[in-house]
Amino acid sequence: MGNGKILIVDDDADITCALQTMLESQDYTVVTASEKEEGMSKIKSENPDLIILDVMMSTWQDGFEMARELKKDAAYKDIPILMLTGVKDKTGINFKSTAGDPTWLPVDGFLDKPVDMELLLAEVDKLLPKKT
Amino acid sequence: MKPVSINTRLVQRAYWLIRLRWIATVSVAVGTYFSSTIWGMDIQDSALYCIAFLLALYNAITLMLLNNVSRVNREVPYNTVKKIINFQISIDLLILTFVLHFSGGIENPFIFYFIFHMIISSILLSVRASYFQGSLAIFLFGSLLLLEYTDLIPHYCLLGFVPHCLYKEGFFVLGTFLAFSTAMYLVIYMASYIATRLKRAEQAHIEANKQLLEKDRIKDEYVLRVTHDIKGHLAAIQSCLDVVVNKLVGPLNEKQSDFVNRAHNRTRKLTEFVRTLLKLTRMRLSDKLEMDFFFLDKTIESALASVSNRAEEKQIRLDVNIEASIGKVYGSQFSIEEMIMNLLLNGIKYTPENGEVRINAKSTDHSVLVEIIDTGIGIPKDEIDKVFDEFYRCSNARKIEKDGTGLGLSIAKQIVDHHGGEIGVESQEGEGTRLWFTFAKGVSFDSRVQRLSEE
Repeated sequence: MGNGKILIVDDDADITCALQTMLESQDYTVVTASEKEEGMSKIKSENPDLIILDVMMSTWQDGFEMARELKKDAAYKDIPILMLTGVKDKTGINFKSTAGDPTWLPVDGFLDKPVDMELLLAEVDKLLPKKT
Repeated sequence: MKPVSINTRLVQRAYWLIRLRWIATVSVAVGTYFSSTIWGMDIQDSALYCIAFLLALYNAITLMLLNNVSRVNREVPYNTVKKIINFQISIDLLILTFVLHFSGGIENPFIFYFIFHMIISSILLSVRASYFQGSLAIFLFGSLLLLEYTDLIPHYCLLGFVPHCLYKEGFFVLGTFLAFSTAMYLVIYMASYIATRLKRAEQAHIEANKQLLEKDRIKDEYVLRVTHDIKGHLAAIQSCLDVVVNKLVGPLNEKQSDFVNRAHNRTRKLTEFVRTLLKLTRMRLSDKLEMDFFFLDKTIESALASVSNRAEEKQIRLDVNIEASIGKVYGSQFSIEEMIMNLLLNGIKYTPENGEVRINAKSTDHSVLVEIIDTGIGIPKDEIDKVFDEFYRCSNARKIEKDGTGLGLSIAKQIVDHHGGEIGVESQEGEGTRLWFTFAKGVSFDSRVQRLSEE
C-alpha cells in the first residue's frame, strides 16, 4: 500500500466499498467516512494524501461546504480533493466549468457518478501520482 | 401557438384604432371634396378640410404617444394603454360632432357613425367606460341639436340633399334624438354583452391552459425525482460490477465472466438512458437557458471535431458549409453545440458506410438556418410526424440500434424551443434525411415592439 493514503467520504456504503476495492488494487491505502463530521475527524487523524468527496450526503451541500472549509484551512488546503457527484443532472450546474473556482467549488478534480473505473483511476493518478 | 398576453393585444388594438383613424381622415377629406366640389353641395368645405388636417395631426400624436409607452417599459402598462384608448374615443366623438356641425347637423345621415365608436369601446374598454362614452356621444349630439335649434351656433343647411332645412322641425329633431340615444345604449348593451362573454370564455381557456402546464410541470418534477433516485442506485450497482468485471476480487470462470459482463453492459446502457431522461426533464423544467452571443461557425467546427473519429470509423465523409456572414448569434452555446453534435452523431449512426453527412449554416436577416443532411436510411413516411415525440424510435432505426433512448430529437426540440426557433425534418426512406433548425440571431425588445406595431 505504498502509493499514498486516500480518504473517501460518501454516505453510499456500496459505492464506498467498490471504490475502496478499486483503489486498493492500485496499492493505495484507503480510509472511509460516511458523513461530513466523520470525514473532518478522519482528515485530522489519518492525514490523507487525497480526499474523494461525494457532493451529496445528508444535505445536498455537505460536500460543497466541506471542500470550502478545507481549502480555507492552511493545514489542509494543499490536500487535493476529487469530487464525485450525482447532482449535476438535478441542479443543472455544469461542474466541469466551475470546478476550481476558489469561492464556488474549490476542488481539484471532478467526476460524475456513476464513475467509470478507468476514469477514476486516471483522475486519481493525476492528483496523486503513483510512486511505483 | 403561444397565447398573446392581454396587454400585448390591447396595444395591438390601440394600433388598429390608429390605422382606422387614418382611413377616417382620408374619408373626411375625400368626402368633403366629393360633396362640395363634385356634387356641389353647400357644406363648409374649408372647415372640414381643416378638421381632416387636425385629425391627421392628432392621430400622429397619438401614434407617437403609444410608441413611447410601449417602448419605454418592458411590460406595457395596461391602464395607460386603456387611458389612451379612452382618450382617443372621446376625442373622436368630439371631432365627429364638429364634422357633422359643418356638414348639415341633423340633416347629415352620417350621424349614425357614432355607432362605430360605441362598438369599439364596448370591445376594448370596460362596460362602465363604454356607457360613459355612449353618454358623451348623446350629450355631444344633443348639444349640437339644441345649440343649432336655439340659434346659439349657426346651422349649415344640407340643401341639395334635403329639400329644406330640418333643424327647426321640433318633432323631427326630438324623434331623431330619441332614436339616436336609444340606438347608442342598445348597441353598447349588445356589443358589451357579447364581448364580456367572449372575454370570459377566453379567460376560461387561459385558466385551463395554465392548469395543464402546471400539471405537466408536476409530472416533470416527479420524473426528475424518481429518475434521480434510480440513478443513485444504478451508480452503486455499476461501481460494484466494475469491481467484479475487473477481477479485483478474484478470477471468474468464463460463464461467470460472460454473465457479469452482460449485466455490466446493461447497467451502463440504463445509466445512459437515465442520464438522457434527466437532461430532457431538467430542460423542460427550466424556463430559460443561459444565453449569450457566440460564434456559430466555431461552435459547429467544435461539434464536428468531436464526431470526426466516429465518422472515420464508418468511412463517412463529413462536409461542412458555413456562410461567412453568419458571425455571432445569440443563444446557449453549450446546448447548441451539444445538440449539433448529437444530430451529427445521429446522421453518422444511421448512414451506411461510405456515405456522407453534411452540415450547412445559412443566415437570413433575423435568423440562422442550420441543416444536417445525410445519405442514411431515412425515416419512413408514416413515422415522420412522430420523430420529435419523447421515446419515439423509428422502426428502421430500431433495427440498426436496439437500445436507443428515443430522446435525442426531443431534447433538440426543447433546445430549439428555448431559443424561440423552429425545427423540422424531411426525409426519403432509403435515401437520406435533412434535419433543419432555425433560431433568431438575437432580438432586442425594441425590434419586437416595432414588429408588433407593424402587424
